[in-house]
Amino acid sequence: MKIVVLNGSPDSRRFELDCYLAELEGLLETRGHVVKSFELRAMNIGHCTGCWGCWVKTPGECVIRDDSQKVCRAAINSDLLLFASPVIMGFTSAVLKKISDRLIPLLHPYFEIDRGEIHHRKRYERYPAVGLLLERATDTDEEDLELIRDIYARMALDFKSELKFTGLTGNPAEEAADALDRL
Amino acid sequence: MLLTVFNGSPRGRASNTACLLEPFLEGFSETAGNAYELHYLAREKELEEHIRAFSEAECALWAFPLYTDCMPWAVKNFIEALAPFCGRQSNPSLGFLIHSGFPESLHSHNLKRYLEKLASRLGCPLIGTVIKGGSEGIREQPPAMTRALFRRMRELGQVFGRSGGFDPVLTARLAQPVRFSVWKLPVARIGLKMAELMYWNRMLKGNGAYEKRFARPYSQDNAEE
Repeated sequence: MKIVVLNGSPDSRRFELDCYLAELEGLLETRGHVVKSFELRAMNIGHCTGCWGCWVKTPGECVIRDDSQKVCRAAINSDLLLFASPVIMGFTSAVLKKISDRLIPLLHPYFEIDRGEIHHRKRYERYPAVGLLLERATDTDEEDLELIRDIYARMALDFKSELKFTGLTGNPAEEAADALDRL
Repeated sequence: MLLTVFNGSPRGRASNTACLLEPFLEGFSETAGNAYELHYLAREKELEEHIRAFSEAECALWAFPLYTDCMPWAVKNFIEALAPFCGRQSNPSLGFLIHSGFPESLHSHNLKRYLEKLASRLGCPLIGTVIKGGSEGIREQPPAMTRALFRRMRELGQVFGRSGGFDPVLTARLAQPVRFSVWKLPVARIGLKMAELMYWNRMLKGNGAYEKRFARPYSQDNAEE
């Protein structure tokens, strides 16, 4: 399976998520998966300005040329897109949110009815499954984790996919690798 | 009442958020002694100024669109900068106005949950959350199409200006439809088709991009960069 990891850790002084991902990626590779990891904080990625150029000017591509194109290309051609982040103020990091907002070129502006709700139409034939890996903060409670899961599950719906994995860095990386293996 | 307004739209001044805020703030200002100040979170360089405005506010309204099923980046960036204010005694009361291109308000329910939890995390008294769906393109719509919505926003602002709270009846009305009933889905489908033809296709054609509207620039058939 092709796995793309979006490392949303904002700060290189925080080691927990970085170390966990390094271990997990190693495990996944020894099990035959192809892993591509993006350290978002070190990349040149601007924020979405809401111009909708990716829908009405250069369909499928953002008009801002930066590293987001690399992420979009890798993401849409993967089998699993893993959003990894420390929990900050009850949600995934701004660094991760920035790239999430820049993934909208992968969708089509037209709406359709899907399971009784209005959602975006597909642009591509297939979309990767969505995974979520979180590092708890001292103030993170169960309600926070449930909220983040719920939000990513809905985001996955809009990306014509499903949230298929949620992990915590507090659990062994072996466990996460096993769960991802079973997908 | 002095109201500190944070517009969190990536488009700043030229946003649907600004269009919704305008009649609300007009209504709010009708009560003598009311005044507001407006900040645009998309102006990254003004973050320090935004933090200061929050720290000095007595009452704050955050308004922004749903973005990939949650808040836009600039809003999360602002939230992270507010971490030192968690539990501070003199934090402002917080109200939220969120809107989405999706016509149903159910898409924004998780975000509402998040924001209300955030208010409690910060220790800010919660005013409430107003959700409005179907907001895509309102900034470009002819007045006839937006008149009823803007009148409602003005009324919401008037009540807020007098009472400091969101009128529950108006709030419930703005949130309609929460979801489409099976009977209404065919009507919704016609609405979606209209939006396709009158809104998206018009823009695509204006940009000479209509023929490429289904482009898949990152599909594996297209060579790697």
